Amino acid sequence: MTIPSRVTETSMAGKALGDLQRSLQRGQKIQSQISSGKLLSRPSDSPTGTVTSLQLRGEVRSTQQYGRNAEDGLGWLGTIQNTLGDASTSVIRVRDLTVQALNNSNTDESREALAVEIENIRATLVGQANVKYMDRPVFGGTTPGAVAYADDPANPGQVKYVGNENRTTRTVGPNAKARIDTTGPEAFGQPGSGTELFSVLKNLADSIRSGDDAAVNTGLENLDTAHETLKSALSDVGARYNRVEQMKQSSDDHLLSVKSQLSDIEDVDLPKAIMDLQIQQTSYQAALAATAKVIQPSLIDFLR
Amino acid sequence: MASTFGSINTALTSLYAQRRGLDVTGQNIANANTEGYTRQRVRMQAQAGSLNPGVYATTDQVGTGVTVAEVERGRNVYLEQRGRTEHANSAYLASQKGAYDQIESVLAEPSDTALQARLHDMWDSWNDVANNWQDPSTRTALIARSSTVATTLNDTHTALSNQFASQNAEMGAYVDQINSLGSSIAEANHEIVIAQQAGLPANELQDERDRKIMQLSELAGASAQATPDGAVNVYIGNAALVEGFNARSLTLTGPTTLDGITATDKVALQWDDSKTNATPGGTAGAMLDTMNTIIPGIVADLDGVAKAIATTVNTAQAGGFTKDGTPGTDFFTGTTAESIKVAITRPEDVAFSKGNPADPTTPALDHNVADQLADISNSTDSPDATYQAMIGRLGVSAQAVGRRSEIQDAVRDQVDTSRTAESGVNLDEEMTHMLTYQRGYEAASRVLTTIDSMLDQLINRTGLVGR
Repeated sequence: MTIPSRVTETSMAGKALGDLQRSLQRGQKIQSQISSGKLLSRPSDSPTGTVTSLQLRGEVRSTQQYGRNAEDGLGWLGTIQNTLGDASTSVIRVRDLTVQALNNSNTDESREALAVEIENIRATLVGQANVKYMDRPVFGGTTPGAVAYADDPANPGQVKYVGNENRTTRTVGPNAKARIDTTGPEAFGQPGSGTELFSVLKNLADSIRSGDDAAVNTGLENLDTAHETLKSALSDVGARYNRVEQMKQSSDDHLLSVKSQLSDIEDVDLPKAIMDLQIQQTSYQAALAATAKVIQPSLIDFLR
Repeated sequence: MASTFGSINTALTSLYAQRRGLDVTGQNIANANTEGYTRQRVRMQAQAGSLNPGVYATTDQVGTGVTVAEVERGRNVYLEQRGRTEHANSAYLASQKGAYDQIESVLAEPSDTALQARLHDMWDSWNDVANNWQDPSTRTALIARSSTVATTLNDTHTALSNQFASQNAEMGAYVDQINSLGSSIAEANHEIVIAQQAGLPANELQDERDRKIMQLSELAGASAQATPDGAVNVYIGNAALVEGFNARSLTLTGPTTLDGITATDKVALQWDDSKTNATPGGTAGAMLDTMNTIIPGIVADLDGVAKAIATTVNTAQAGGFTKDGTPGTDFFTGTTAESIKVAITRPEDVAFSKGNPADPTTPALDHNVADQLADISNSTDSPDATYQAMIGRLGVSAQAVGRRSEIQDAVRDQVDTSRTAESGVNLDEEMTHMLTYQRGYEAASRVLTTIDSMLDQLINRTGLVGR
């Protein structure tokens, strides 16, 4: 005789145990999510989420790096900007001195004094042209040497550009490279062109000393041209400074948004998780209570 | 008419049968919690009276009591077969899930410390070199961080090798277990066949044999087929492990280390006699797949990442110059996860410049090589992308296996519930049976008493008229 759909103590206990086990397992998963604060703890939790998370983590790192690159670039551009600003002030002073030298009332001594001052200013300017940021001559292109301008052995008293025309850049955004240097010729004029600031100053000093007014006038014109070059380099650097600063700002903003995206994917939604845990706990307790009631009684209890 | 004392015998058969019923009920209750025990049921059969009239006796067509025809096992063969299949699948998936769990733990993604983060550290270091190559400390940091990447790859490979080795050792133990189970099933076959031919019940022995077959199903996906004489043939794949009273044996062959696995040389289970490969399911099948496919697959992916890193960096280095103007040499040696290593030790040997500072005509020292390498992490064919794709694939496979395992476990539990419902002991039922048999025994005793008093009437008080 077979009784259809038979239930036995073992089958009931096995089923109850299995159900409780699964319920407990679900609870454990939610609990581990809450305690770790992470929705994703291994790739199988969500393969697509994991890949997105890896990519976003990459993006966070790159964006942080862009920010650092931009800061470094701002250091370079700031140095250049300050140097060129100072140089411009010096050139204006030279212009004043030159105009003063054209005054007919000058004596030899006063002209000598003016020439000496111009020569001093020139020496300062050469020093400024060799200014370094992080041990690199900022006006020297990619020269392996330590200076951008050095004494010209062929022409005593003149300086010579020893850098090159190569550019230095910083990556300040995805596929955005900003130039952060200015070469010497761009700021101080092409060497050998006659309007290069240092040779203009040297010639001016010489002309003032010898009292050659015609040469001083030519020198004044050349000085103005050199000043124009300097000022246009300065405004170019200023524009680039702004651009890098904007890029830095936008990379900071981007960082925030990427981080919040990453958090959306990886981090646990606490109120929801706690609710889930609560529901799960309630159902677990209900299951426990029901199991205790069902498994307990037996016919033995009712037989004499 | 039947004989005078025939009815006493009828009552006696009932007493025997009821007692047998109580014995079996007692056995069932005693084994209510024994794993693999199948409830037994006494099948009683009414004994027909003799239908052949004798010389002095004729039949009155009334039966002559009851006999215990059989003690049945309450077991459904088809449910058992189903149970073996589901247990085998469940064991297969559980083992594979375990393997994936371990691999996921080894790779430990996503995190701030695993390989992906290390790779970023390395590319960031190239960026630092690009920003500030004048300072040798950036290059020292670069070498250290590149070493960390290489070491992480080496360590991952070692961990996977260890996983392979432990699977292999475990598999060896399982093979011994499969062989000993096979031979003990063959022995059980022998005993059961002999017992059944002698007409003795061998229910407990059969339970024990079923339990072993189930164990074999979980271990190696074995299936079983009963033969008419009471023996059971056990098959792994399509080949018999146990046939009648004979058991065959298996040996684990093939490479014992992860590095030994090639396209042709794989771990296998081989029949000792025919030297052909067995096709097990269950845990053993899953472990073979893990050792032959899953772990080598992950290692191949990791090797791809290692190769991409080494090739990318070395190619860029070859086109650059160091600070002293020496052409760049290989930054990494080795192109597998196991062998990759940072080849250069001195910061002076890092080639970060496209321009050659020692060039007699156009000397230049720039950061272009370092900058180029720093940009690589963002390109679509970077080692990072290769690695991310690998993690994605791993996640998909692990998730699929995890889910299938969960579903399969539910199916297995369902079938187990049906099996235990069919073959398990129900105490209520046993109590009822106990009552029934007890009452039956009492009633049979009453029949005996009644006949006794009838005979008493006949023998002692009949024919006493006028005494």
